[in-house]
Amino acid sequence: MNLAFELKNVKFDYEGIPAVQGLSMQIAQGERIVLLGANGSGKSTLLRLLDGLCFPTAGSLEFAGRQLTEKSLQNETSAFEFRRRVGLVFQNPDVQLFNPTVFDEVAYGPLQLGWSREEVLRRVDEMLAFMSLANIKDRPPFRLSGGEKKKVALASVLVLDPEVLLLDEPTATLDPRSQSQIVDLIQQWKGTAKTVITATHQLEIVEDIADRLFVLEAGSVIASGTPHEILSNGELLLRANLVHAHRHSHGGVVHSHPHLHGHSHHDHDHEH
Amino acid sequence: MHIPDGYLSPSTCATLYAAACASWYAALKRIKRSIGGRTIPLISVFAAFCFVVMMFNIPLPGGTTGHAVGVAVAAIVLGPWASVLALSITITIQALFFGDGGITTLGANCFNMAVVGSFVAYGVYRLIAARSDVSSQRRTIAAAIAGYVAINASALLASVEFGIQPLLFHDSTGTPLYAPYPLRVAIPAMMIGHLTFAGLAEAVLSAGMIAYLQHANVGLLRQSQSASASTSTSRLWWVIAVLMLLTPLGILAAGTAWGEWTARDLANSHASPVIEAASKSQLPPGSVPAGIERLSTIWTAPFPAYAPTFIKSAAVGYSLSAMFGVGLCAVLSLASAAVFRKRRESHA
Amino acid sequence: MSRTNFIERTLNRFARAMAKALVSERTAAKPGLLQALDPRVRLIGLLVLVISVILCRRLEAIAALWLLAVVIAIASRVSMATLALRVWLLVFVFTGLIAFPAIFLTPGDAILSFANLSASAQGLRTAALLILRVETAATLTTILVLCTPWTHILKSLRNLGVPVEVIAILAMTHRYIFLLVDTASQMFEARQSRAIGRVNTSEQRNLTSRTAGVLLGKSIELSHEVYAAMVSRGFRGEVRLLTDFRMRFRDYCALAIFFCAAGFAVWMGR
Repeated sequence: MNLAFELKNVKFDYEGIPAVQGLSMQIAQGERIVLLGANGSGKSTLLRLLDGLCFPTAGSLEFAGRQLTEKSLQNETSAFEFRRRVGLVFQNPDVQLFNPTVFDEVAYGPLQLGWSREEVLRRVDEMLAFMSLANIKDRPPFRLSGGEKKKVALASVLVLDPEVLLLDEPTATLDPRSQSQIVDLIQQWKGTAKTVITATHQLEIVEDIADRLFVLEAGSVIASGTPHEILSNGELLLRANLVHAHRHSHGGVVHSHPHLHGHSHHDHDHEH
Repeated sequence: MHIPDGYLSPSTCATLYAAACASWYAALKRIKRSIGGRTIPLISVFAAFCFVVMMFNIPLPGGTTGHAVGVAVAAIVLGPWASVLALSITITIQALFFGDGGITTLGANCFNMAVVGSFVAYGVYRLIAARSDVSSQRRTIAAAIAGYVAINASALLASVEFGIQPLLFHDSTGTPLYAPYPLRVAIPAMMIGHLTFAGLAEAVLSAGMIAYLQHANVGLLRQSQSASASTSTSRLWWVIAVLMLLTPLGILAAGTAWGEWTARDLANSHASPVIEAASKSQLPPGSVPAGIERLSTIWTAPFPAYAPTFIKSAAVGYSLSAMFGVGLCAVLSLASAAVFRKRRESHA
Repeated sequence: MSRTNFIERTLNRFARAMAKALVSERTAAKPGLLQALDPRVRLIGLLVLVISVILCRRLEAIAALWLLAVVIAIASRVSMATLALRVWLLVFVFTGLIAFPAIFLTPGDAILSFANLSASAQGLRTAALLILRVETAATLTTILVLCTPWTHILKSLRNLGVPVEVIAILAMTHRYIFLLVDTASQMFEARQSRAIGRVNTSEQRNLTSRTAGVLLGKSIELSHEVYAAMVSRGFRGEVRLLTDFRMRFRDYCALAIFFCAAGFAVWMGR
């Protein structure tokens, strides 16, 4: 089994505050992983560590069997190789859409990596057609809707055909149709060699896009397992601030239970 | 303060473009050396920020509002050179895309606001804030004064540029071809608005933003302190600028300097008692010595006696000569420094 | 003065800026004269005309250039209403106000007098020169911007030798102006809806400073994030762009015509 990533006791401090504490995990190639956690749980930071945008203050992080450090990315060839093989889609698409038009945005990665002009044009057109973005390719980012922005951001990373796709809250703030489009896309990669690591707090999409889950809280992994295992564990989800609790009384007895859609199993019949 | 096309003559525009280009070149060189790739998004976003801030209506005492440029904030946070670039970018986009300010006058606008504004703001801030604590109130006051002085320096420069137009550029009937008001009208007309509303608005914004940073992001202020260019040279420029403005005081000194007499002075009978008095009662020669007579015609200075012929006011002529002289020295020393650095680098 | 007046005015400015951008986009897509030319030719040609406006010394020559500008505008499907409102009216009012006193202050041959003010011929000429120059130059630059997408202007500048880093910064700044205008609008609108009762001037000032401060904080954070996004896709300090303009025969012709027109105007107007 080829490992995409191996983390051993990784720690990361951000301006003195620990964002990731003693994290260890193994992610195999082709796996679809979901990092589940509320805001501030450290999942975004973890994605950045995996994308070589920041480096552990302690512990070791390996990509495809090799240590990922600042030094290892200094050489241009190895840096370009890494950037092509691993792609990160940021949570806020405005951050990722810094080029004047949609076309320029999708072409940015290939251009930076030094592809030939013909190759760049060909691949960009292909990707725009694939994501149904061809009709807006000359639009500036401020004229795009939220869903369109996310799709462009995704396209700009996919055009490099990375082996590993890191997605930071891909469906947050999206309308239901756009959300399902993204989910469909991720489902397409099931069984392929693409490793997909998604960070999200939205429970409803998790089952469709994950083979394995890690639950994060305050920079540590507090549980891992299959979607079914994790999602039925109400107490765990409550602790990780992924669900809210309902409090109500029955004839003088007050009890609370986690509010889970479609997974509720407690012994009272309730109508919500 | 954005000068539109048509107010400045082609030669004025060209001169100021040259000055602006030299500054941009220097700024780009310095930026590349210090922060590398990170600078591009930082300057871009800051330029966008200044653009937006220029649209704010800032409420002032008396029920009025004013507009600010944000030059002091940019100079303090980014350092003067990066601020030159950021503000120039803002001004360029305003001119090119939003039609605010001219294209032939882009060099002038950038020089006035981005270059002079940034350095004056930076110099004043450093002078007043000195080594005080980053979160102290002194810094806020320093920022306010820096903003006020910088805006007025830019406005003064612009008004001088306006004011010399009718003097230098008119047709045979005396019609001014470009900006029609002479210095004595242009300067007060522009400065009144800036010494009051615009200056105040700039002071208010600068102080407010530095105060905000002191609460919300002190790290940024500390960073800019250590990353900024050598403070000693900036202070030096500030001192030179003040000295340049004070040069007209020299006119107050009576008589001519000893030994610097021209052939004309020696031939002038009124001048001999003065020369005698200054020379410990030694009598000057009765007629002009042949050697002096011969050599005095070899070279005629462009600005004889520090008074350019086209400037009527002696004080202004003196100051302009000072600026020109200092500018020439600066250009020559920068150029020779560059040449020597290149030589050193090629040897290394 | 109403408590929200300054907020309203600021918001209006924001809205106007966005509207300008939209009009540009629409005009640039129309099938007109300028739109059919290589962007570099447009840029150089119109700039050359602006320079000739500044070089001319005679009213007649500048007026001729203005007429030329109008003809180009019509041929390029630029709406006259847009030009009139966005350029001509504004310039006439502002420059007119500035130039008006010059009629009386400029020394020369008096032609009209009332009270102790006398209007001189030179004064009239100088006012006319100024207004006409500003109008024509503004018309030319507005036409350029309306007919050319921002990206094309940038790529043309690149072709003309502007350093890549400057182009990259210009592109990114332009893009983020709209984001920050949006953010600032939202912040002001939120304040507007929450303000109750009279807010005095110093509180208003505080509000503006705080909004500017928060905007600054967000801007700086944004720049860090953008840098990370750039690095993530392979940025290593060097800017690489796609430039793909090719000059055709008609572009060379147009360029020649621009230069001739400018040269002629300057020669006639010397």
